[in-house]
Amino acid sequence: MSEPKKEKKPAEPKSHGWMAEYDCDHKLLDACRKVRDSGYTKTDAFTPFPIHGIDEALGIKPTVLPWFTFFAGFTGTCTALTMQYYFNAVDYPYIISGKPFASWPAFIPVTFELTVLFAAFTTVFAMLGLNGLPKFSNPVFSNPRFDRVTDDRFFLWIDASDQYYNSDKVRALLADTGPLEVEEVMEDDTPDAIPRKLLITIFTGIAASLIPLVIVMNMRNSKSGASRLHVFFDMDYQPKRKTQTPTTIFENNRVQQPPVPGTVAMGELDFADPYYLGYDPDKTVALNEASAETRFVSLQDEEGSENEAAAAEAPPKLAFLDEFPDGVVTDEMFDIGKAKFEQVCAACHGFSGYGDGLVSQRANNIGAANWANPTSLHSPTVRPQPVGQIYHTIANGKGKMGSYGPTLNPKERWAVVLYVKTLQRSQDGEESDIPTGATVEELDLRPDAAKAKPAASNAEPGTPSEQIALPEKPATAEPAVEEPASEDPAATDTTEKPAETETPAAEPEKPAEEPATEEPDASETPAEEPAAEEPSTEEPATSESTTSEEPPAEEPAKESGSSESDE
Amino acid sequence: MASVTASEIDNTYDTPGRRTPLVTGDQNYSTITHLVCRISEEAQPMIWWITFGIALPLLMMFGSLIGYLILTGVGVWGNMSPVFWGWPIVNFVFWVGIGHAGTLISAILFLFRQNWRTSINRAAEAMTIFAVVCAGTFPGIHVGRAWLAFWLTPYPSLNLWMWPQFRSPLLWDVFAVGTYASVSLVFWYMGMIPDIASFRDRSKNKWRRMIYGILCLGWSGSSRHWMRYEKAYGILAALATPLVLSVHTVVSFDFAVSQLPGWHTTIFPPYFVAGAIFSGFGMVLTLLIPVRAIYGLKNVITPRHLDNMCKIILATGSMVGLAYTTEFFMAWYSQNKYEYDTFVFRAFGPYWWAYWIMFLCNVISPQLFWFKVFRKNTILMWIVTIFVNIGMWFERFVITVTSLARDFLPGSWGYFSPTWVDICMFIGSFGLFFTLFCLFCRYLPIIAISEVKWCLSEQNHAEHRYAHGDSDH
Repeated sequence: MSEPKKEKKPAEPKSHGWMAEYDCDHKLLDACRKVRDSGYTKTDAFTPFPIHGIDEALGIKPTVLPWFTFFAGFTGTCTALTMQYYFNAVDYPYIISGKPFASWPAFIPVTFELTVLFAAFTTVFAMLGLNGLPKFSNPVFSNPRFDRVTDDRFFLWIDASDQYYNSDKVRALLADTGPLEVEEVMEDDTPDAIPRKLLITIFTGIAASLIPLVIVMNMRNSKSGASRLHVFFDMDYQPKRKTQTPTTIFENNRVQQPPVPGTVAMGELDFADPYYLGYDPDKTVALNEASAETRFVSLQDEEGSENEAAAAEAPPKLAFLDEFPDGVVTDEMFDIGKAKFEQVCAACHGFSGYGDGLVSQRANNIGAANWANPTSLHSPTVRPQPVGQIYHTIANGKGKMGSYGPTLNPKERWAVVLYVKTLQRSQDGEESDIPTGATVEELDLRPDAAKAKPAASNAEPGTPSEQIALPEKPATAEPAVEEPASEDPAATDTTEKPAETETPAAEPEKPAEEPATEEPDASETPAEEPAAEEPSTEEPATSESTTSEEPPAEEPAKESGSSESDE
Repeated sequence: MASVTASEIDNTYDTPGRRTPLVTGDQNYSTITHLVCRISEEAQPMIWWITFGIALPLLMMFGSLIGYLILTGVGVWGNMSPVFWGWPIVNFVFWVGIGHAGTLISAILFLFRQNWRTSINRAAEAMTIFAVVCAGTFPGIHVGRAWLAFWLTPYPSLNLWMWPQFRSPLLWDVFAVGTYASVSLVFWYMGMIPDIASFRDRSKNKWRRMIYGILCLGWSGSSRHWMRYEKAYGILAALATPLVLSVHTVVSFDFAVSQLPGWHTTIFPPYFVAGAIFSGFGMVLTLLIPVRAIYGLKNVITPRHLDNMCKIILATGSMVGLAYTTEFFMAWYSQNKYEYDTFVFRAFGPYWWAYWIMFLCNVISPQLFWFKVFRKNTILMWIVTIFVNIGMWFERFVITVTSLARDFLPGSWGYFSPTWVDICMFIGSFGLFFTLFCLFCRYLPIIAISEVKWCLSEQNHAEHRYAHGDSDH
């Protein structure tokens, strides 16, 4: 490859042409015109930069290059359109965004890009091809002076193949144009073929690089009992047993094993710590020892149908936290709780917690089927709930309310609980809440908490609803209603309002109660909206259908966190 | 060297009737060749080693983090509901935007016959290629199973039995960025062929001569070659001009074709393109101000070049500012609640700091270029360009993250926090960029020698005509 610079004087040198050197483009141009006018056509000029006017001075014809570009660009356009049409409308049609299979407007960008891509690459390669590049062996390179052609010298060249070529005449002509130097360039006798060694190396290299490809192709087209070579496992093989399969590892030959009591899996503190759960798991275990035993036996025992029923009657009770964990009751947490409550909860529960959020109002307004009114946070069933239970409800959902665990992290949940508790207190304060001897000015009344109260009284029926709700309490004494409704089978508290959480089994017994239980919520609406009659009459049917749908509806609700709008 | 360090002439003023020189300091063709070629022939200055010494470990860190990401999964990033397009996409758009100046300078300014582009186009094109390399990395590793990223190409597959979905802007992006990267690369390489030939012809070392000889494909400077070369250059410029505008347009489609408030606007394509040119010129200046000082190129990259670039930054920065304001106007004028709220959140919500960093850096800081002192003092200029770079990163952050963090349902709002992997990867991408740029300075012609010579010849002719009262041509 280094031939270009080899300078060998052959025994009998054959003239390749004459070369004149100039130091200025003007002189070169003048010389070019002179040479052209003398009738030479096999001429060329070598310059460090393109010189305008030299085409005319040398008689260089325009290039066909633009045609290459045009046809390549046209090919690109056609290729892109055909490709996209065939792929998306013929061979693999599928509906996306409601667009037609052949969405021509959507095909424009790729068509444009491919047009440019084809045209640009063709232009460059056609330019090189028309120029005969790469060309590593060129007789002109044999002159060391020629090195300055890429620096500051201009060369005029008359080739020996010209029909008028005569060494002496050419020399005289060139010498007459005021060059720095005129030199004859001899035919380069170094072979212009690529050296054999190099050729072999290149060929071997290419062949070697194809070996992996050949192996891959061969593997693809041959049958083999051996398993495939997996570079990336993509979770294809995992060192685990599938569920519901037998194993010899454990005595009972089952893959699934209950965890050792008190086990906390890595990164799963949120399944074991009261802070994350809202209840104390240890106490819960103690609380439910007896019933859990029964349940376990009933599940183990294939014929234990009566036991099963018994187990269902005694769902596990949760030992909810009565007090806030450390670090929750702070002003900062209150602010977070307020922000999150208003962002996440208020849409349904209302800003003051009466279950009169905009979504609920709207649902009642349009008489949305399947709409269960959100529970008022000031209802007597909710107010006495321990903080852990409210936390648990936020984390896991309850009845028609979806889980907000994915939306609110544990800290935010506790913050919301704090805010809910504050809201409740604001609506149901006792005289003892007021510091004795304090005047109103001295009290550190948070403006936000204070605002909640007027808002609530605007929303009207704080007290009436509670009064109406009171009689229903006996009805809620029913046990066992929670289990199918909530994600966590353990999630229950028998004082829960039943309106949202009837089991299908319990339905026939209590249609009479249901309207009554809905009443507190429904009774709020008449005050604001005349249209509320309709929903309230529909209520029994509504809540029935709601409850029967609940178990399946629960799963997606967890995802979206907005089951309230589920119609 | 003597002529190189000649005192800088202020060519930012125009003399009526006389063409302002773009090459200063008594240069001739030979000194220009020497000026550029010596950079790769002589030992590199200490600052080069320092830069390279910092960039290379950062590149290694980038590589290791990509390995970590691929082995672990994209969960190592902060991308989490609701912001699934976090820093990787921000970085992608940032780098692609930077990659717009090079081709713009070589193509659009070529078509407009702006001769001052000749001194800066090579370095700017190199910067373009390297920025696009950085940009391409991010979506490549963002696809999750990065080793299957080739599924984006339409090829008949026996495994998939399916084709790419050509109605998606994300696929347009693959084609646009792919085309842009490859066309920019051949454009850059083609432009370098004559200059690599200069390197070859100055080489004393046999191996160096051979390698540059192969790289320049045996370029001889024949006029016939030059004629086709220039034609090809003009055609490529004409092709690259719409291409460079299309790339960021298509990138903006990634956002604008979606339905998300804050993204779904028709202003995005021109706004993105203006922003891309803005950020690209910002990065060109950030790189060239030190380069011209370190390598003594002040006679080729003259104050006038810097002045012109500052004016482009000022113009495009004002366009970007107009776009920001228009967005707000439209948010109000459309009376679309979601659109309106999105923009209120942008400026006054939890990401207010990002928005105002963006606004200060992109809209206010380039306005300093109205004052001549900022267009003349390279240090002040450099500081402003750093602000431009920062601001443009934040622009993409604001667009991507704030719109996603707050969509239609308040219940699904969130706040994006990057992880250490996000941060280190972004820093690592600078390692990749600067490693490539250092190697470019070390081994390739950083100034388009032949084009500057052509420019100098034009300048000499103009001087000649001026001196002789325009009579002899």
